[in-house]
Amino acid sequence: MQHAVQIEGLTKEFTRRDGTRIRAIDDAAITIDPGEFIVLLGPSGCGKTTLLRTIAGLENPDSGRISIDGRDVFASHNRTLVPPEQRDLSMMFQSYALWPHMTVRNNVRYPLETRRRPRIARKEMDRRALEALETVGIGELSGQYPGQLSGGQQQRTALARALVNGSPVILFDEPLSNVDAQVREQLRAELLATQRRLGFTAIFVTHDQNEAMELATRIAVLDQGKVQQVGTPAEIYRNPATAYVATFIGTTNEISGTWDPSQSGFSTDAGPIRSSSLTPETASARILWRPEDGKLESSRPSGPNTFEVTVTKTLFLGLHTEYVVRWGKASARIWSSEHHRFCPGDQAWLSVSPEDVMVFPGDGAQPTEAEAAEDTPPQSSAVLSEAAG
Amino acid sequence: MTATQTPPPTRPPRGPVPKPRLSRMPRKPSSFDTLTLVLAFTLIAIVCLPLLQVVIGMVWKDGEFTFEAIERTLALPDLWTLIWNTLVLVIASSVCAVVIGFLLAWVNQRTDARWGLLNDILPYLPFLLPPVAGAVGWIMLLSPTSGLLNVWIRDALSLFGVDLATGPFDIHTWYGLILVYTVYAVPYTYLNISAALESFDSSLEEASRLSGAGYLRTLRRVTLPALAPSVGAGFLLSTWFGFGMFSIAAIIGTPAQIDVIAVRIVNLLTFSYPPDEDLAIGLSAIVMVFVGLSYYIQFRILRSARFGSISGKSTQHNIIRLGPWRPVVRGLVLIYVLGSTVLPMIGLFLVALNGYWTPNIDWGGLSLDAFRSTLIHDPSAREALFNSLGLGIVGGFIGILAASFVSLYVQRRRTALGAGIDAAIKMPASISNMVIAVGILLLLGGDPFNLGGTWLILLIGYLALYLPQASIASDAAVAVVGKDLGEASTVSGARDWKTFLRIYAPLMLPGLIGAWALLFIRIVGDLTASAILSGTENVVLGFRILEVFNGGSYAELAALSSTLVLITGTVLLFVIILSKRFGVAKTQSAPRTRKARR
Ligand SMILES: Nc1ncnc2c1ncn2[C@@H]1O[C@H](COP(=O)(O)OP(=O)(O)O)[C@@H](O)[C@H]1O
Ligand SMILES: [Mg+2]
Repeated sequence: MQHAVQIEGLTKEFTRRDGTRIRAIDDAAITIDPGEFIVLLGPSGCGKTTLLRTIAGLENPDSGRISIDGRDVFASHNRTLVPPEQRDLSMMFQSYALWPHMTVRNNVRYPLETRRRPRIARKEMDRRALEALETVGIGELSGQYPGQLSGGQQQRTALARALVNGSPVILFDEPLSNVDAQVREQLRAELLATQRRLGFTAIFVTHDQNEAMELATRIAVLDQGKVQQVGTPAEIYRNPATAYVATFIGTTNEISGTWDPSQSGFSTDAGPIRSSSLTPETASARILWRPEDGKLESSRPSGPNTFEVTVTKTLFLGLHTEYVVRWGKASARIWSSEHHRFCPGDQAWLSVSPEDVMVFPGDGAQPTEAEAAEDTPPQSSAVLSEAAG
Repeated sequence: MTATQTPPPTRPPRGPVPKPRLSRMPRKPSSFDTLTLVLAFTLIAIVCLPLLQVVIGMVWKDGEFTFEAIERTLALPDLWTLIWNTLVLVIASSVCAVVIGFLLAWVNQRTDARWGLLNDILPYLPFLLPPVAGAVGWIMLLSPTSGLLNVWIRDALSLFGVDLATGPFDIHTWYGLILVYTVYAVPYTYLNISAALESFDSSLEEASRLSGAGYLRTLRRVTLPALAPSVGAGFLLSTWFGFGMFSIAAIIGTPAQIDVIAVRIVNLLTFSYPPDEDLAIGLSAIVMVFVGLSYYIQFRILRSARFGSISGKSTQHNIIRLGPWRPVVRGLVLIYVLGSTVLPMIGLFLVALNGYWTPNIDWGGLSLDAFRSTLIHDPSAREALFNSLGLGIVGGFIGILAASFVSLYVQRRRTALGAGIDAAIKMPASISNMVIAVGILLLLGGDPFNLGGTWLILLIGYLALYLPQASIASDAAVAVVGKDLGEASTVSGARDWKTFLRIYAPLMLPGLIGAWALLFIRIVGDLTASAILSGTENVVLGFRILEVFNGGSYAELAALSSTLVLITGTVLLFVIILSKRFGVAKTQSAPRTRKARR
C-alpha cells in the first residue's frame, strides 16, 4: 500500500530577529497511511504549524524528505522541491483565510478554477461547489460574503473549500480554536463523520488533548520540534514513550525514586514502589501513575504498592471525585467514581497495581510530586466538599 | 493500522542529532518573482547609485583620486556660518516640535479635551499644504508691512490706542523661520509620541500611582522615560526633515539673509553658471554627516538606558478630567491646528483673489483674474502645471505599482534577500532627500546620459525620493490582506500570477489608490528634486513658484500656490473619503475581530 504522506529526517531552523537559531522541526519522521486521521499534538510553539506548513510547501525545510502519495515533494539529497500549488493538497487555516471579496460560493469554487487538467465547465464547478457546501450543511449561504457569516459558518465554508476538489490529503491547522465550545463540539463530530465518509487523509494540528483523543486514529506528540511518539490514543495514554508524553496527555501523579535491587523496586519518599515495566538504566527514576489507577479503601488490601494515607481534600468533579491524599512526604490525587466515600481527615489505604506504574529515566530537575499536586488549580466547575465534610 | 513506534522505556537516550545541512534550496523563481526582482533592483539602483556617486565624487574627479571637493568646501569663507545657521534652525525647530507634539499627543490621548479630528488632520498637514505653498502663505500673513495678520493685529491694537507702522511680527527672521519649520516638523513628533502613548502599558503608571506617586511625579518618573524612544524617534525624523528642507529656507530665509546648507546646494547647482558640483558634493557630505550623527546619538540614547516596555495592545488609560480648563485646552488645540493650516491658506487665497497684495482687502472686488492670468495666459505656468500633474500621475502610478510588487515579495518570501531589498528601498528615508537629488543630477545630468532638465530625470528623481513613502504605504496595503489569504490561494493550486490578480490585487486596491494619491501629492508639491533636477526648459509647479518668488508679482505667486493647494486638497479629500469608506487600515486576517467590528 502506498503511504499517503511520508516524512523522514525532516529538520527546519528559523533565525529569530535577535539572531538566535531555533530548531522548529528536529529530525522528524512519521508515516501516514491513506484514510488515517493523524493529529499532531503538542503545546504552543512546539513546531506543529511549521511541520504542517512544510508538508503544504509553504515553508521549506532545511533537510530531510517529504513524499505525498509516493511522490517526493521535498528531498534534500537530490534537491527536489515541488511548489505548494502542485502538491494536490488542501488546507484549512486557523484563521480560515476566506477571501473577503468573494462570495461563499466563489470561495469554494476557487480551487476548482485553478486546476489545469482536466478542465471542468463552469456549470460543473458551481455544482460541485454547491455540493461541497451542502456536505457541510450551509448550501443556503452560497451567495453571502464571508464577512456576513458567523464564526461557525465561516468555518464550514473553509471546510467546504478544503473538500471541494477531492484532495486525497487535507491539512488542518487548529481550525476549531476560534469558535466557542459548543459549536466546536458539534463541528468536531461533523468533521470526523465527513472524513470517515469521504475517506481523505487528515493531518490535524491541535494543542487540545481532548480534541486529539476524540478525532485521531493516531496521535503524534511533538515537543520542541521532535516527534516524541506516534500511536493510537489508547497507546499514547496507556503506554507513553517518554515522561513528557505521559505528563502532557492526561493527569499523572509523579514521584522520584532510585532503583533498589534488593527490593526489586524503587525506594521513594512514599515508600517502596514496584513497577512491572522495565527498569531504567539510570539509578534515579521518574515514577508516574494516573489518578484513576489508584484505589482507595478503608481496610488494608493485600499486594505491593500499598500505603496508609490521610485524605486532605475531596473535590466533586461530576464523573468522579478527586481525593487528595498525603502520607509521609508524599501526596497524590486519586479519581474514584465512589463519591463521598471519604472526607478530609479520614484515614484510608491506597493501592496502585504495578502494571499501572510507569517508570522513566529521572533527570533530577523535576518538581517533587507533592508540589506538582498542590500547584494544580482545581477545575472551576468542581464542588469543594471540604466544608460539607 | 501501521505498527506503532512506541520505544520501550529503557531505550537509550538518543545521541546528538547530526547538524542539518543547511542547504537552502532556492525555489525556482516564477515569472512573477523574476519580474519583482527586476523591479526591485531597478528601484534600488536609482536610489543607491546616485548616493554612491556623491560619495565617490568626494574623492574622485576626472579619473583621479583627489580631495579637491573637500578642500574647496572647507575653504568656503562662510562655511561655518552655513553650518551654524543650519544647526540652530534644525535643532531649535526640532525641540519646539517635540514640545508641541508631546503636548498635542498628551492632550489627545490622556485628557477629556481629546479631539478625534486632530488625529485625522495633523498627519496630513504637509500633504494638504505643501511646504512651498505654506511658506508663501506665511509670508502673506506675517510680512512686516503688508502681512495680513500683522495688519489685522495692528488694526486691533489701534482700538486700544497703540499705533504701529509695521509689525508686530516679521516672518523674515530667525523666529519666523523656526516657526514655519516647527509647524512642518510637528506631524513627525506628534505621530510618534501619540502612538507610543496609545500603546503604553498603563499598568506601569498605575503601579506608580499605587506606590504613592502623584500624577505629575508619575508622568516625570515613569511615563516620560518610557516615552523617550518615541520622543527620540520623532526628534530624529524632525532633524532629518530639517536638514533636507529647501523650500521654506529658500522662500523665508533668503530674504532674511539666513543662509542654510540646503539652499546653498541648490544655488550652486541651479542658479550659478557654471554649476559648481564640487562644492555641492562637499556640502552634501556635511548633510550626510549630520544625519548620520543624529542617528548615532539616538542609538546611544536608546542603548544607554533601560526603557519601560511598551506593550503592543492598547489598554484603557486614565483620562484626566480638565473641568473648567477643558474648553480652554480645546481652544488652544483648535487655534494651533487652524493657525498652522487654515490661516496660511486664507492668506494665499485672499491675495490671489484680491489680485494684488495689500492689507486693505477689497472684499467686493475679489475675482479670479489672477488665476486666469497666471494659469491661462502665462504659458510657462501652464506648462509647469501640466508637467507636474503628468509627472504626479505617471510617477505615482509607477511608484506604487513597483512598490506593491516588492512589498508582496518581501511579505510572502521572508528570505534574507527580501529583507535586504526592503531595507535598500526604504533607505533614502534615512539619508537626505537633498543628497539623493544631487547624486541623480551628477549621475544622469551630464555625459553620457545627458538627461539634465528632462522629464525622465525628474521622474527618476521623484521615484527615488518618494519611494520609501510608496513602499511603506504599499506594505500597509499588503499587510491588510495578510499572508493567509495568499497562502490559501496557493494551496488551492493557484500560481503566483493568479493569486496576485484574483486575491491580492482586488483586496489591496483601496489601499493602493490611497497610496497613489499620497505619492501624487508628494510629487506635485515637491521642490527639493524639482529645484535641482528641473532645468529652465522643463519647469514644474514647485520650481515655477520659486521662479515667480524670485521675480514676479505676488498675486501670481499666491495664485500658483493656491492652485497647488487646491490640487493637493482635492486629492487628499478623496484619499480620506476612500479610507473612511473602505477602512484601508483594518486588518482582515482574524475572523473574530472582523466579526466583532461589524
Ligand atoms: N517565521 C518564523 N521565524 C522565526 N521563528 C519562527 C517562525 N515561525 C515559527 N517560528 C518559531 O518556531 C517554533 C515553532 O512554531 P510553530 O510551528 O508556529 O509552533 P506551534 O504551531 O506548535 O505553536 C516557535 O518557537 C516559533 O517561535
Ligand atoms: Mg500553530
